[in-house]
Amino acid sequence: MKADGVLFHAKHAFMPNSLGYCGPDEKGQIQRDLEGDRSDEELVQTLQKFEAAYPFLKLIAKSAGRQVFDYSVPEAYWIGNRLLDQVPVSDFYSFSHHEIRGRDPKKVQQVFRRLDGTAPPHHTFYVMSTYATAVVPDGPNVTNEARRKIAGVVDDCRISWGTVRKVRKGELQVEVRRVSLDDGGLSLTRPAVKSVRYNPEVKPFGAVRAGDVVSIHWNYACDVLTQRQAKNIARYTDADIRLVNRLMKSDEGRK
Amino acid sequence: MCVTRAGKVVSASHGRARVEFFDGRALDDVDVSVVDAKTGTFVEVFGNLALGVLSPAEARRRRQAWTEVARALGAPRK
Repeated sequence: MKADGVLFHAKHAFMPNSLGYCGPDEKGQIQRDLEGDRSDEELVQTLQKFEAAYPFLKLIAKSAGRQVFDYSVPEAYWIGNRLLDQVPVSDFYSFSHHEIRGRDPKKVQQVFRRLDGTAPPHHTFYVMSTYATAVVPDGPNVTNEARRKIAGVVDDCRISWGTVRKVRKGELQVEVRRVSLDDGGLSLTRPAVKSVRYNPEVKPFGAVRAGDVVSIHWNYACDVLTQRQAKNIARYTDADIRLVNRLMKSDEGRK
Repeated sequence: MCVTRAGKVVSASHGRARVEFFDGRALDDVDVSVVDAKTGTFVEVFGNLALGVLSPAEARRRRQAWTEVARALGAPRK
């Protein structure tokens, strides 16, 4: 097991867990381990208790013939890489029915049928397709205010990325493209600067500087991305948006 | 990662609510304004935003699914 894969995964799972949206009540353990740069069995056991993220890692790892916390596996799930392309559609379909707790089987069928089996086991796709198949009252005719809120939660929940413009104490000014929702579906806005939190005690944020590209989850900077990762997250996010817009263009996808 | 969670609105005021989820957990300050949920409504929550309203039948199915999961795990979830 590679330690850096555990920490990479923990960095991206940390914020929604701390907000109480997913995973176990781990009483600050993930943060302590991230700040201590520790990847031990206790952290692994905690990460294994996440209802959705860990099963996704197992799916990708099995298809790629790698260990669950091999760095490339959580990287595929959160950021995107070629391991996603190696997951057989039949495995992902079966997984979506049996491994994701509480998900409506009819919605799973809709996603796979409407997308002709092109759905990827990528976190951003999961987030966006969840919105696309949710039972939003009034469907596409939701108010602009509701659209703004929906786009906001999708944007917060997906892994976004941005270029650091200024480093402040506990806060980065980052140039990002947010998720927007209108009649044409989901898209990314033009670049704009927003503030995100970061923890300088978590490597490599003690040395973060303007020009770095960071991954972001729930307004929290998770990690500093390589150029390859920055290209990949843009590429896979664009693909996710195209797929989800196809899904939403069908009335079936909204029911 | 965020998962959608099904639960029941146990109190609501000005578009915000406390939701008790079928997995045994609860969240205060869920935004229920998009679905206009009232106390007693079953909702589907994503992050801190209620995105859907569940029929009582669908809510029963979701609750049963979680009960089976908890049983399979050998211990009820918190």
